Amino acid sequence: MVRYAFFLGCQIPMRLPNIEIASRKVFERVGLEAVDLLGYSCCPEPVISRLLDETAALATSARNLAMAEELGLNMMTLCNGCYETLAEANEVLKHDSERRERINGILRRYGREFRGKVDVKHVIEVLYEDIGLDRIRGQIVKPQRMRAALHYGCHLYREYKSPDIMRKPRMMREIAAQTGIEIVDYGLERLCCGYPSMQADEEFSLKNRLLLKLSRMREAGADAIVTACPACMIQFEIGQVMLRSYGIQYNMPCLNLMELLALSFGVPHQELHLELHRSPVLQLVQKMGVK
Amino acid sequence: MSVSLENDVLNYLRDVLDGDLIEAYRQRERRVFVRVKPAAVRRAVQALKDRYSTLRLMTLSAVDTGLDMEYLYHFHINGLVLTVRSVKPKEDNTLESIADLIPAANFIEREISDLFGVKLVNHPQPEHGLILTRDWPDDKRPLRKPFEGILPSKARPVAEALISSSCVAPISAFVQKKREEAGLPKSAPFAFTDEKMMREFQGIIRDTSLSEKVGFDWEKKRLRYK
Repeated sequence: MVRYAFFLGCQIPMRLPNIEIASRKVFERVGLEAVDLLGYSCCPEPVISRLLDETAALATSARNLAMAEELGLNMMTLCNGCYETLAEANEVLKHDSERRERINGILRRYGREFRGKVDVKHVIEVLYEDIGLDRIRGQIVKPQRMRAALHYGCHLYREYKSPDIMRKPRMMREIAAQTGIEIVDYGLERLCCGYPSMQADEEFSLKNRLLLKLSRMREAGADAIVTACPACMIQFEIGQVMLRSYGIQYNMPCLNLMELLALSFGVPHQELHLELHRSPVLQLVQKMGVK
Repeated sequence: MSVSLENDVLNYLRDVLDGDLIEAYRQRERRVFVRVKPAAVRRAVQALKDRYSTLRLMTLSAVDTGLDMEYLYHFHINGLVLTVRSVKPKEDNTLESIADLIPAANFIEREISDLFGVKLVNHPQPEHGLILTRDWPDDKRPLRKPFEGILPSKARPVAEALISSSCVAPISAFVQKKREEAGLPKSAPFAFTDEKMMREFQGIIRDTSLSEKVGFDWEKKRLRYK
């Protein structure tokens, strides 16, 4: 049994539990034990904490990493943003002794210490490297007959183990391909969905990022979008709702890679609570005849 | 200028103010700074006056940083410039006058009161009207900034949720219900689900300067501004 300390993050359990539900179903089927981190906190979100106070950001990450160390397990994240924050903090603290000492000075007051003993992996890496495509393929009982555009998410390109920034996106593509979908190339895979710029300029985010992607995906003939990032999913789903106020209608379903896997593993869609989606995922799945 | 006067001033204020002195340092030759709690400003001024007969108030500067008013009392002592700094939250919109101790503070305090709209306490002429007309509206003072911290409005709920709950996405009753229907616990095992863990998480945040920078009120468990 493959075991990992499971870092759930904030958005998935609190706003998009459908991704957590699907992930746990997938883990069960492929033999992956996800050990919850009891008492964890936000990774933390990078925009405010890291920009304003690096010490607070590193100390918060280090506390989460120390919890995984105490379990003696490497850490697995479901969220691209959490992956980047934690993997980056892990690298910084492992290699910068001055910062590590400063942060440990804080953690020791609470009986913890960052020792740099664990690795941080995105769930895509775990599925690809530890579980393997063969075992995933072996679980496919309901191949998904849809044309899907993949959106990897900017943080998935962050790479700490090799100079190849396409390493994890390629893994995602290969995993997605096992589910039977037809992957549609649309040429703007690397473009940001616009989620971060929503904070600064809503219209720019919707029209100069999201809309560009949606229009190219539709032109390429995609029925749905598959993403690995919860923030991107929020942007694709809520963003499409917001675009309606500009007179623009897309209604393109957006689902997470883990939901796609769960569906192809034969998990009934009712168990996946697809009704939580703000885009017509449920309708798409019903149209495809998946019970 | 001897280093001894710089050290004498700093050590003397350390002794006199004890826990009310937050910071004291020599910035360069003939230039020293101390930061004191707002309630200790008058005590510091009285102590300086008692010890240094050549003490002279050069001026008083005020800075509106959004959430706080910063007051910098610049003194001259035998060729040395000493700045006594105090930071007062704008929720308390008063400035205790030192004009009875140092009469030269009279006009500059009134000027600050006019321009920033702070209320003078124990000032011989606390009413405004030194620079502005007497009928100038209280809510439109030229140098007063809106009561806001450094975060843009969209980032405020995120910072508040992070510090107060260890999680940036508050959970709704609807999502809790859906989680339970799916056989999951109502919430993920965040620090806020365990009192000891939450104390630890918030202790770590308090040990850094994040909460001060974003303007978090630990008593009310929320940002000081909307």
